[in-house]
Amino acid sequence: MPLADARSFVPGLLTAAAEPAADAAALTRLAEWCGRYSPWTAPDGSDGIKIEITGCAHLWGGEAKLAADLARRLTRQQITHRIAIAGAVGAAWALARFAAADGRPALPAAGAERQALAPLAVEALRLAPDIAAGLRRVGLRRIGELYPMPRDALARRFGEAVAHRLDQALGDLPEPLSPLGEAPVRRVRLSFAEPIADPAEFARGAERLVADLAARLAREGMGARRLDLAFLRVDGRVEHIRIGTARPSRDPRHLAGLLIGKLDTVDPGLGVEDMILSLFAAEKLPAEQIGLTNNPEATASGIAPLLDRLGARLGLDALSRVEPRASHIPERASMTIPVSAKHSSKLDCHSGARPEAASPESIFQRPVFMDSGFDPSGRPGMTAKKLARKPPRPVRLFAPPEPIAAAWLLPDDPPFHFTWRRRPYRVRRADGPERIAEEWWAEDSSAAVDALRDYYRVEDSAGRRFWLFRAGLPGGDPPPRWFVHGVFA
Amino acid sequence: MSGAADIEALRNRIRQIERPARHGVLPFGIVAIDAALPGGGLALGTVHEVTGAGGDEEDGAAAAGFVAGILARIGVGPVLWCLGRADLHGPGLLAHGLDPARLVLVRAPRDEILWALEEGLRPGLGLTAVVGEIGRLPMVAGRRLQLAAERSGVTALLLRRWRNGAEAAAERDRPSAALTRWRVSALPSADVANEPGIGRPRWRVELLRCRGGVPASWDVEVADATGHVSLSAELADRPAAPTKQKPAGLHTGPLIRRAG
Repeated sequence: MPLADARSFVPGLLTAAAEPAADAAALTRLAEWCGRYSPWTAPDGSDGIKIEITGCAHLWGGEAKLAADLARRLTRQQITHRIAIAGAVGAAWALARFAAADGRPALPAAGAERQALAPLAVEALRLAPDIAAGLRRVGLRRIGELYPMPRDALARRFGEAVAHRLDQALGDLPEPLSPLGEAPVRRVRLSFAEPIADPAEFARGAERLVADLAARLAREGMGARRLDLAFLRVDGRVEHIRIGTARPSRDPRHLAGLLIGKLDTVDPGLGVEDMILSLFAAEKLPAEQIGLTNNPEATASGIAPLLDRLGARLGLDALSRVEPRASHIPERASMTIPVSAKHSSKLDCHSGARPEAASPESIFQRPVFMDSGFDPSGRPGMTAKKLARKPPRPVRLFAPPEPIAAAWLLPDDPPFHFTWRRRPYRVRRADGPERIAEEWWAEDSSAAVDALRDYYRVEDSAGRRFWLFRAGLPGGDPPPRWFVHGVFA
Repeated sequence: MSGAADIEALRNRIRQIERPARHGVLPFGIVAIDAALPGGGLALGTVHEVTGAGGDEEDGAAAAGFVAGILARIGVGPVLWCLGRADLHGPGLLAHGLDPARLVLVRAPRDEILWALEEGLRPGLGLTAVVGEIGRLPMVAGRRLQLAAERSGVTALLLRRWRNGAEAAAERDRPSAALTRWRVSALPSADVANEPGIGRPRWRVELLRCRGGVPASWDVEVADATGHVSLSAELADRPAAPTKQKPAGLHTGPLIRRAG
């Protein structure tokens, strides 16, 4: 019926625009909130939520009590609802929509779904409308009337769908439920008798949950890498704190510290009823021997909590280490790699040998003439002599190199004057050129700014020393461009 | 009344306050510099500021080299280096003595760097030092860092790096809670006999502020691969005076040393 007709029949009709997207979002939020009953929840169509409570009901004192608790909380949120619990998704769907009523959940005894479904209309089988109408036309109105029908006759007349749906409803065909989001590896829940909104209480709650989880991880010899602490609010919304660790950890004080450090991002609204700590990624962390001596590993364990604290606030990708690479391309000679990467380094072990930048092409990568002046195996003290022979490298390197306006006299000369960041510089002395060509053996060599660069070390009249390069050949076409790539100390 | 005892207690407190080097000092190994610093060296477990000069106030290159030289000599443990823009170059740091493998770089927004520094100054982390490249440093934040450094014995080096000349002008002369403030600027390199081109690179190192010390200035050769600076040979025996640029001969362009 068009809206205009409806208005003419009922002048005082209240209308509201349909907002399917907002409805779906609200349903998803509610499904997430239902995570307090089970980690496996998902919205079902546009008007339902599926919760897999296998193995969860006893935590609430049985299915009936779980349903009653759910009903009470939904009522408080002013959500009209119908609840059914059954052995199969299909049966629960049918019972919730055709048997249950507000305040009267449908809870057939285990194994009694067949009888419970029998009096329901055939539409309860989740059939397409035309199939359901077809069934009605031949006088099959109730699900129970389908039980004695021969399957092949049903299939011939109405297609596979009827038999398929019937089997699903009766639990003869499996129907897996895919959960909303990732299913956690481990989960710990803490419920409060009354809604709380005090951050200090949250902190205590987080400590208790982490202690629980840590004890379990210790028994299993695992360490947490990724955790999610969910706060289930009274109004059906869920707030999350997500943390990652640089190394597997099960130190309760450390993990709780990470979570508590982010408590200020949680909006408790009118109050939080449950906190759920989910572990999404764990790695093997063997039982630890508490150090007797002051071994280097102790230092490593000292810095890991710091990295986690920094990473929790700034993001783990904000932390990096400088790793030498055997490459003569200045940008590649020193890579910053994320701290969380599994890689032995100085931070892991002070006495251990440093890994060589080994690769299949290592014989190509370190010929004498293209040495980067940054020997991965070298120690500073011992390489002083070696360094003296190598062209110096700047302390600051700009990525990407910054273009400058330069003036030069002879083709092979460095500029005698250049302008960088709108400041003019007059060159007094210069060294060079040092030609650096692309790594023809590397696959992404074309990614370098320019294939051929002539580097000059220049000193301006005040004494500042810059690393300039000319991209392209002098007198070539297009004309060469000049860049400042770094500044020397 | 125990007036004498009170005064003695006060004297002890003053001695405590005037002796900032509770965690030891790091001598530069140059008599002239060490003499200007209370305790005969750079006090460890405190906050020091290092700035550049001119355009280097934005790039912080000379300051980074100076800091690298200090870090090379403080110890061998890991160093937390907090910065806004990751433009440090490992080989360049190595030339001033700092093994880049010791660094943990933390790239943080400007207002988070102080927080990250304070985290790094907590006791028991095994860090040798923390370095922060920061522009604005409110007095209170500086004092917090100073207290944290004193408690843990970890040295904090604040590399002041400003975004532009205007910010530098506004912040440059602000007082801070740091124990010392250094300004490191590049000087024209020292000539090497019979060698055109860039000679031995030098810095002018100025001690602008020093609690319990005297402001002074030295011209030194840049920190070498062991992290040590050395007095320029021609200046070692006489006071620093502006040296005249040597005439470049008939060559009017820049002095160039050809490679190869």
